[in-house]
Amino acid sequence: GGRFGFITTKTIKEDDIEEILENLELSLLEGDVAFEVADTIVESVKEDLIGRKIKRRGDMELFTTNALKKSIYEIIDNGEYDLLGDIEKVRKTGEPYKIMFVGINGTGKTTTIAKLATYLERYGYTSVLGASDTFRAGAIEQLEYHAKNLNMKIIKHPKDSDPAAVAYDAVDHAKATGKDIVLIDTSGRMQTNANLMDEMKKIKRISKPDIVIYVGDALMGNDATEQADKFNEVIDIDGIILTKTDADAKGGAALSIGHVIHKPILFIGVGQGYDDLIEFKPEWMIDQIFNEQEAEA
Amino acid sequence: MLEGLSENLTNTMKKLSGMSIIDKKTLKEITKEIQKALIQSDVNVKVVLNLTKEIQRRALDEELPKGLSPKEHVMRIVYEELVYLIGEKPEPLDINKKPYKIMMLGLQGSGKTTTTAKLAKNLKKRGLTTAIVCTDTWRPAAYEQLKQLSEPLDVPVYGDPKNSDAVDLAQKGLEHFGSKYDVIIVDTAGRHKEEADLLDEMKQLSTVVNPDEVILVIDGTIGQQARNQAKAFKQTTTIGSIIVSKLDGSAKGGGALSAVAEINAPIKFIGTGERVDDFEAFDPERFISRLLGMGDIETLIERA
Ligand SMILES: Nc1nc2c(ncn2[C@@H]2O[C@H](COP(=O)(O)OP(=O)(O)OP(=O)(O)O)[C@@H](O)[C@H]2O)c(=O)[nH]1
Ligand SMILES: Nc1nc2c(ncn2[C@@H]2O[C@H](COP(=O)(O)OP(=O)(O)OP(=O)(O)O)[C@@H](O)[C@H]2O)c(=O)[nH]1
Ligand SMILES: [Mg+2]
Ligand SMILES: [Mg+2]
Repeated sequence: GGRFGFITTKTIKEDDIEEILENLELSLLEGDVAFEVADTIVESVKEDLIGRKIKRRGDMELFTTNALKKSIYEIIDNGEYDLLGDIEKVRKTGEPYKIMFVGINGTGKTTTIAKLATYLERYGYTSVLGASDTFRAGAIEQLEYHAKNLNMKIIKHPKDSDPAAVAYDAVDHAKATGKDIVLIDTSGRMQTNANLMDEMKKIKRISKPDIVIYVGDALMGNDATEQADKFNEVIDIDGIILTKTDADAKGGAALSIGHVIHKPILFIGVGQGYDDLIEFKPEWMIDQIFNEQEAEA
Repeated sequence: MLEGLSENLTNTMKKLSGMSIIDKKTLKEITKEIQKALIQSDVNVKVVLNLTKEIQRRALDEELPKGLSPKEHVMRIVYEELVYLIGEKPEPLDINKKPYKIMMLGLQGSGKTTTTAKLAKNLKKRGLTTAIVCTDTWRPAAYEQLKQLSEPLDVPVYGDPKNSDAVDLAQKGLEHFGSKYDVIIVDTAGRHKEEADLLDEMKQLSTVVNPDEVILVIDGTIGQQARNQAKAFKQTTTIGSIIVSKLDGSAKGGGALSAVAEINAPIKFIGTGERVDDFEAFDPERFISRLLGMGDIETLIERA
């Protein structure tokens, strides 16, 4: 606390915190928080700090830390999605619980389906995997390998056939055989591609998922806001899974996405194995941001 | 949002229009806007700070060239510094021996396998024959993916889904194709800087393949991590060039610039879609316009 080595009571003014806020903004940006979101956070920290009275050394750091935490919580804490409770409710009606996965190319949708099926199996739920990515080379075979490894049923049609029809058949299969969960894989698509976004809407219309999960890559930068915003607008996302957080990503994308669509993050992906999926807690984001600051200090 | 940003930059630049000398305060404002533009385009914060320090220094130190307004002068410096980083002209992929061995490298899901097929198609158009070796033993159906991508191109793929030794696969693949083809592309599994085993595997692959060119595939949507990841990759092999994928979305591709700054290898191509034809030679000028969120940089430079 060298910079604030005064003892007498002092009221915080804008000038006193300019440098702190600038550094804060830089470390948020370095953690891949999108520019406009970092701006919003810094503004809210500033508002929180100005006018406060400092009485002792260390107050400034404490106030700043608390203000930052509060601001991050506000963005990231979009309620907890009670996935298991939700599944139970739907299962009581005798219907299978349907989850549809969407996102841009290569974020980890297919792998995450295999991970989530593994997770749900631990709670006693049986899954059927719907190979609705009929477009990308090797996509059906990829999901097929996962199904084989996990000893689960996959519903597939030939490559390039109608993805909505595959999803429909997967739901049908679950109903007929009493499976608990239908996990629908879809092709990666750019949010700027109107045709593909329409196709995704059609898959949703036909398969009527109980929940749509947006799979985002923790390594992505500023585009996270645009992507999430557009997907949410077109298909109404219910929850988020953030992948590849094991790659030393700070994962500021979680804040960027949370800020624009206010939807909860359910899980984070922490590796390529079937067990590498953990439940998301807002504290994770706090740790990410603060570890970084400590490392720099 | 980005439109607004370029507007800010343009508006700030306009302030310079009427001035006959560059004053410090305006320069600082402009520097801030340039920083904003670059960071919003995902260029690494440290790279941006270094870059703008140099821009500021030059704008103040260098004499205003005759016939240039301060605005044109600053714009030219910005452009020159970016060009200094990424190169003025697109560097071609120079196939100078047979077989010319190319090895792909990159993070999980960055686009290596798709880019391998795009490259094979591109080479075919140049009249060169290509063969592909699949060494990805991690991702389920990596071999099938390559097979399906290359079949319509009539490009052979060596692979064996039962073999889980990437180095062995590389060795066998190279032996299999010998010197029958002009180019052999070795596709590899995705990996990142925290996966020590996989980085070690890359080192071994590099020794066994002895590639003539290692191509780093960078996801156009990646953010600040591009720099550190590139740094870790650099320690496993000598990277000769970069291909930026997924530039058909709305991301600006600044992560690639950070990688260039880190490993000092040129960007040679960009990927602009999922199909094998969605592949273009890298155009530095267009890329810089995109980074700065300014459409009119070319005309500015021409006048400058
Ligand atoms: N390190 C790491 N890799 C992951 C994680 N999740 C997925 N991957 C890897 O990322 C790559 C892409 O994963 P996929 O599941 O194929 O991604 P996708 O979104 O289905 O891709 P498309 O269908 O092509 O859009 C694969 O190599 C996965 O093993 C994760 O949490 N950590
Ligand atoms: N929109 C778009 N998608 C692309 C582009 N290049 C690759 N992709 C898609 O990105 C996803 C991942 O591509 P892959 O080629 O499987 O990536 P990879 O690096 O080989 O992945 P791993 O082997 O799992 O590490 C696929 O859905 C591709 O179709 C591009 O330029 N634009
Ligand atoms: Mg997939
Ligand atoms: Mg691959």
